[in-house]
Parts: sequence; structure tokens; C-alpha cells
Amino acid sequence: MRACRAVTSIGSSVERTDSAAKVRGETVYAIDRIEAGMLHGQLLRSPVPAGSIIRLETARARAVPGVRAVITAADVPDVLAGWFLRDTPLFARKVVRYAGEPVAAVAADTLEAARAAVQALELVLEEHEAIHSIEDALRTGAALVHPEWRTYQFLPGGEWPRAGNVATRSVCEVGDVASAFRRAHRVVEDTFSSNRQFQAFLEARSAIGICRGGRYVVHTGHQYPFNVRDRIAQFLDLPQSWVRVCGHALGGGFGGKLDYGLEPYAAVLSRFAGGRPVRLAHSFAEDLAAAGPRDNSIITIRSALDASGAIIGREFRADLDNGAYTGEMLAMPGIAANIAGAVYRVGAARVESNLVYTNTPPTGAFRGVSGVAMYTALERHMDHIARELGVDRREYRLRHLLAPGDALLSGQVLPDAGILREAFDAVERIAPWAGLSNRRQPWRGVGIGACVWVTNPGPASVTLKLNEDGTVAVLSGAIEIGSGSFAAGVTQLVAEELGLRPTDVVLPEPDTDVAAYDSGSQGSRTVRMIGGAARAEARQLRAQILERAAHLLQAGPDDLELGGGAVRRRDAAAGQVPLALVAAADLFQAGPIAATARYAEPPPAFDPTRSSGALMPAFPGVSYHVHLAEVEVDPVTGTVRVLRYVVAQEVGRAINPANIRGQIQGGVAQGIGLTLHESLRMERGHCVERSMATYRLPLSVDVPDVEVVLLEHPDPQAPHGIRGVAEAPIVLVPAVIGNAVADAIGQPVHATPITPEEILRLIMAGEADPVAAG
Amino acid sequence: MIELRLQLNGRDERVAIEPAETLLDVLRGRLRLTGTKESCREGECGACTVLIDGQPVASCLYAAQAAAGRRVETVEGLAAGGELAPLQRRLIEAAAVQCGYCTPGMLMTLTALLREQPEPTAAQVREALAGNVCRCTGYAQIVEAVAGSVLPAGPCGRAAP
Repeated sequence: MRACRAVTSIGSSVERTDSAAKVRGETVYAIDRIEAGMLHGQLLRSPVPAGSIIRLETARARAVPGVRAVITAADVPDVLAGWFLRDTPLFARKVVRYAGEPVAAVAADTLEAARAAVQALELVLEEHEAIHSIEDALRTGAALVHPEWRTYQFLPGGEWPRAGNVATRSVCEVGDVASAFRRAHRVVEDTFSSNRQFQAFLEARSAIGICRGGRYVVHTGHQYPFNVRDRIAQFLDLPQSWVRVCGHALGGGFGGKLDYGLEPYAAVLSRFAGGRPVRLAHSFAEDLAAAGPRDNSIITIRSALDASGAIIGREFRADLDNGAYTGEMLAMPGIAANIAGAVYRVGAARVESNLVYTNTPPTGAFRGVSGVAMYTALERHMDHIARELGVDRREYRLRHLLAPGDALLSGQVLPDAGILREAFDAVERIAPWAGLSNRRQPWRGVGIGACVWVTNPGPASVTLKLNEDGTVAVLSGAIEIGSGSFAAGVTQLVAEELGLRPTDVVLPEPDTDVAAYDSGSQGSRTVRMIGGAARAEARQLRAQILERAAHLLQAGPDDLELGGGAVRRRDAAAGQVPLALVAAADLFQAGPIAATARYAEPPPAFDPTRSSGALMPAFPGVSYHVHLAEVEVDPVTGTVRVLRYVVAQEVGRAINPANIRGQIQGGVAQGIGLTLHESLRMERGHCVERSMATYRLPLSVDVPDVEVVLLEHPDPQAPHGIRGVAEAPIVLVPAVIGNAVADAIGQPVHATPITPEEILRLIMAGEADPVAAG
Repeated sequence: MIELRLQLNGRDERVAIEPAETLLDVLRGRLRLTGTKESCREGECGACTVLIDGQPVASCLYAAQAAAGRRVETVEGLAAGGELAPLQRRLIEAAAVQCGYCTPGMLMTLTALLREQPEPTAAQVREALAGNVCRCTGYAQIVEAVAGSVLPAGPCGRAAP
């Protein structure tokens, strides 16, 4: 344990500035908002996964008492929108491509009237044969989900390989793979599948739209207000400045509130309802069926081993289910090249990853994105190789760890890859492997794994202003997503630079009319990127403050320092002036004290000749992770209890250790759900699980206290050396619990979730065919 | 419409309601007490938990009419006289609040627990919270806030340098 410096809040677990309002029940979440004269909206969604719209009759719906607007594709511009690839209509126009696709929307005085109007809409569809799965979509001669795919536009600056049902393909080739496999003493191959996972934010999606004077104002609880603004502008074919998005507190996002949700529908309904505010809100069940969940995938890995057991060649192929339309998923195939050869040396490699259209609800971002399935496959595969070779699983990993200066398959060099070894050592100190893996208690097992992860590098901008009472406001397009990254992390960085208490740092909610562009609360970026901007700008603000205070204290700016909400002379002579006085002094002569700064990072160097089709070809803000799990399987019920869970995580610099611990504990809990019981099955294009009663979330009795070791090697690239923290803790959970379950039952695990039914099936298969565990 | 009379956070309250309304909808919609949260609306998540005559109840499944003449407590009533209740302080100090959407329901369940069992064990807290879903925290810091020692502000869980 290291003692904190008393003079700074950096590195200490200061309280978040938003938590008092939250425990009082005073925080107004997006779904708590009302507007005077507010109408209620509802969507009509397609009941079938694929079909042609033969007739859509609105007259009966319009006649329902209290109905103010009924709109369909005929009422909005005939355009397609999309985060990177414009393939998505606001309403299905001629065809529907997934069960749940919006076909029409109504606004009415009451929710009951809106529901009645939706019931009164007459939709006649001619159902088509649908593409239900990745395998269906890739079959030779398969029907195309988007026959017109060639006409779709990428956003300016982007162009990625695609073909038919493959929305985008990324390929990375390093060295002579064919030769490696020809020379191989042994080849090990595995295929893994992973299922969808619902973000299950407890606050359902909602939005209020208001159209006045041709401009749209939207209130929403969202991770990325500028993305919502851009999507609405695309759908309505408007300049972005005609849309204003006001962000409000949100009850969880986890990636599920990064792309548009109900916002464009609320906006356009208001226009057709004469400008009255229109509110749309999902139920938990509607979100479950429609909000873009984590993608399901099929991943195949082949490794060529030489006589010593070293991997000299690897083929890695990941097919990711895009669903019917493309959002953030376009970025996913490209991450395979950074993951398939991460952590352990693999020699020559060919990596191919496809994003595949199906007639299912679109998938999207969820903490760890497709990287979770990729690392699950890789770390399960490592166990398989070690078993084939008869080598201890941990020992095999340590022999082949990347060393400092080794590169990812993308060509990105990791000068600090030696941290991986330190993370294995840190786990070993509190959970010695030999003791755990040799203690052969029946139905108990242990698993270990490692990963390299990334910090989202989206650009940030922040304006700081000194209020006339001496507090400082941070104007930004970012929002406190719940992690404490804003209400503690960024707040602590600003307070540190300006000698303020964290409670003197004010965080207005984001407003796209006011703030400069920001990439939102995603990918662990907030403290590093917004903190980077805030720190740079706090230094500008500090200079202004000292200059203004200099004549008040009759000293030069260099003789002054900030602290305790005041400016004082370093020589301690002649007292001090509070910041409030500095702000008020000369206000009318010299103007207010404010500053704006931006922060962006150049991407790490990589080898552009190796990869194609990668939206994010390198991994900025790299962090390193080792996880270990010990489990106990009940062979009668098939349930798994996680007895012990250990995380060693490289964070660069721990700004707020208690909040970091909360991110790790919470990420592991979500991972336990993903691994063991969160089942979001699609059956012929329809969600099987329809409510929280059937979609089983981790409860207080399911999750162990995670044992956490934080490693702190500051990233020389980033302010305070910060590396992203919050996303990664989920990434390895299915890998190490999967390895532990396989160890416990003596059977390989090739799919997640590993539900009790699946475990009983594996145990029975093992009894029928008792091969060794994988 | 009918008139519902109840004792709400220590005050007599009268409100006109539709006969079939849930207590959750009356609290949030008619009384604008939005501290009580709406989520699954099927009694699974616990976000809407309030106390009725001291007992935790999922207000989304509770007919508002059934609260007639009863003592109803919501999160807004916890900070008596404006001062945070000790339980509220402990959740803040333990960094047990992230997005905060489950927090009001957690607070009500835990308030009922602590009245019956002022010094619960971690296992008792976990058992009591088994009907309150939190998607953010993974529960450990919530349990610590109530049972066992809350880690002091400062370094925690850090590796030795």
C-alpha cells in the first residue's frame, strides 16, 4: 500500500460530487423529465424478420381520439443514416429487415391513446424467407439482406471492403502462414461461439423531442450527445446545427446508449404534432428486444506449433453478427488484428474478421464489444494447446508472453509489454497457481488469462470558466455516465490544477449548442481525454487567475500560488485573495476569466501494409490485464459458483482507487452474467427472452468480492499517465471462468453463455466419451 | 377518479387517482416524487422499492388503493430535516453509488433491514438485496457500506510500489 500525498486529491478516493443528489433521490434522470404540454409517442414495429410492406393504412389510427400525429416513411426524407455506413432508414420504407424495425410512429395526448392508435394502424406484410444466422448469411447463394448494398455511402473519409451480406471485412496478414502450417509439428484448432448480451441499463431509453421554428431540441440520457445530433441531422437531412441535444443523467449505458435510440422519432413526431413536446419511452422489455445488444459471433482459431510447442503460425477468423443495420459494429472487424496476436507470440498470422448482415435486431456496443468473444476464444484455445502439449496452462502462457518491444499483428510496438509479466506475478502473489491448480477437489476448477486493451481516443474539448463566486464550471459535451469518471476523475484533475475542493467544480449537463465536439462517454476515454483537455485548460485558466491576482497582491504572477480556493503569495506575506474576489475584480474592465482547450492524440504507429478494412487499426492508450477465477460446479443442477476472482490491472495512474475498484467489480459482475446466465437467444428472428424474469441478471448473491491489484506504470503519452480503466474489466471474464469450468468438469467449453443446461449436457457428453479436459 | 389518503414520508397526503393505478405511477406521475425509480415493472429489479408500514414492497406491482391509510416511505423521506441519514452517508463513503438508478430502491430495502438487524453480516445484506438489481457496481461496495468496515478514503486495493 502506498500512502497518499495529503496535498492532492489525485490518487485518493474522494467522494463523487453527484452522489449526495443520487442518494436523496433528487437526481433528475432523462426518464424523469416532463415538459409542459407533452404528448406521448409510440412506435409500430415490424412483427416479422423479413418482408415487403404491401399496405400501411393510417386513417383509422388518425381517427383515434387524442391522436395528434401519425407518421411513416412517407413523411420523412428518403435517406439512409449511419454512424460509419449509411444503411439505415428511420422507418422501413418498402421492406422490413428485422422483427422490431420501426414502421410508423404516433403521438397522442395520453399513452393509452397512442397505444390504441398503434393498434389501429393497418400493416399488411408479405413475409420473405429471412436470414436468421451468420451461417445462413454466408451460405453460397444466400439471399441478400440488403440487395442494394452497393449504393450505400460511407461517411466521408471512410471506405471499407464489403460484399453482399458482409457489411465489412478486415484482413491482416503477417509473414508466411502457409509455410508455418507446412512446417508445423502439431496443429490445434478450435471453434467458439458466443451469444448476444443485453446491456440491461435499469433506466430504459427515452427521449423528449421538441420542434420549434424549424429547429429540433432533444432531451435524452445518452453517452454521446453529438452522435445523437449527427444521426438526427442525417435522418432529417438537416445541417447539424439545426439539432440541439441536451444530455441528462442516465441510469446506465454500458455502450447501449452510444448510437441513436428513440431521439429521432421524438423529434420528428413533435414537428408533425405542431411543435408540442413528444416523449417516447421504452419499457425494459422493449429495450431488451430492440436495443442493440452485444453481438453474437463464431470464431475459429488454428495454431501451428513447432517441436518446442511454440506457436509459429496462426489463422484467426471471426464472424460477427451485425443484425440488419450497421452502427458502431463497423469498427469491430478491425480490432481482430490487434487481438489475435496480443499477449502471446504467434509467429506468422492471417486474421480475417467479417461483419455479417442478418434479419435480426441490429447489434451494437456493450463494454468490451467483440473483443470479449475474441479473447474468450484465444484464452480457451491457449488452454487447449497447453493440454495437447501436456504443459501447465500458466507456465505455457508465461513462456510465450510478449516481451517489451514486441509488436501486435497490426505492427504496433508495445514498449511496455513487460507489464504483462508483472500482472501475472501480481496475481500469483495473492493466488498462487500451484496451490489452486493442484488442489484437486471434485467439481472445482481454476482458470487464468490475460489481455491487452485500448482507451478510446476520440477527441475532447472543454471550456472552463471561473464563476464569480470562485467556483469553476466545466463545460463539455461529455456526461457523467455513472462510473465517476466526470464527477470524480475529471473533477479531481481540475481541482488539482486550480487548488480547489472537488465540490467547487461544477459540472453542467452537456448541450451540443454550447459545448465543442466531444466523443462521449465510451471506451474508458473520459478521464484520459476529457481530463487531458481539462488539465491543459486549467493551466490556461490558472495563468489568467494569477495575472489578475498579481496586482491585487502586489506581486508578480510567478510569485503566486493557488490553493484552498484562494491565491496567495509564495512568500506567505500579505495574506491571500479568495478566487471569488479575483473573479469579481476588474470583471467589467478585463472581462470574465475563462479558457477553452482541446485534447487529441495521434494514433500509435502501426504497419499499414499488413491490414485492410480496419476502422481503428491501432490500440491507443494500451492497458494490460491478468484475471484468475476459481469455480465450483454443482453436477446435479449444473450451476456454477464463482468462489474466487482475482484481477491485476494496469491503470497508468489511479486517480480515484475506490471508483476504479467499483469499475473492476462491476465489470466482472457483468462478465459473470455474460458467462453463466445472461441468455439473449434469437429464434427465427425473434428474441426468446422477453423480460427481466427470463433474462437472468447477476444478483448480490451471485457475485464474489473481486480481489484487485492495481499496477501503476504511467503512460508517457497521457496527462498524469492515465490509461483507460472502466471497459476492460469485463473482457477476460468468460475466458477465465470458461477455463475454470472446463477444468472443473473435465470437458472443453466452446460456447457462452455456459448455462446450467449446457453444463449438464457437457458433463453427460463427457461421461459418454471420457476424453481429457480442454 | 377516487381519493387516496395515505401517510407519505410522515405527512398526511391526499391524491386523486384512477382505481387501477399502481403506487409507483401515483408516486412518480401524480405526486412527482421521481426518486422512486421505474425499471422492469414486473417486480424483478427492486428499483421501485418503497416501504409500506415498514415493509419493502415493489411499488410497480402494488395497487395504489391498497396503500390507503398506510404509512408509505420513499427515498425522499430518508434525509430527515435535510441531513443525510447514516445509511445514505455510508453508501457515499463506500463509493457504492455509480449511475445511482438502483440506489433509491437499495436504500429502502436496506433501511428496512437495518431497523430489524442494526448490525447485519455481509451474508445477511446480500440475502436482503437479492431482489434489488444493480448493473453497475457488482454489489461489493454496497454490501461493505452496510456490513463490515467501510474502507477509509485514500488508497485501497493498490499494489505495493
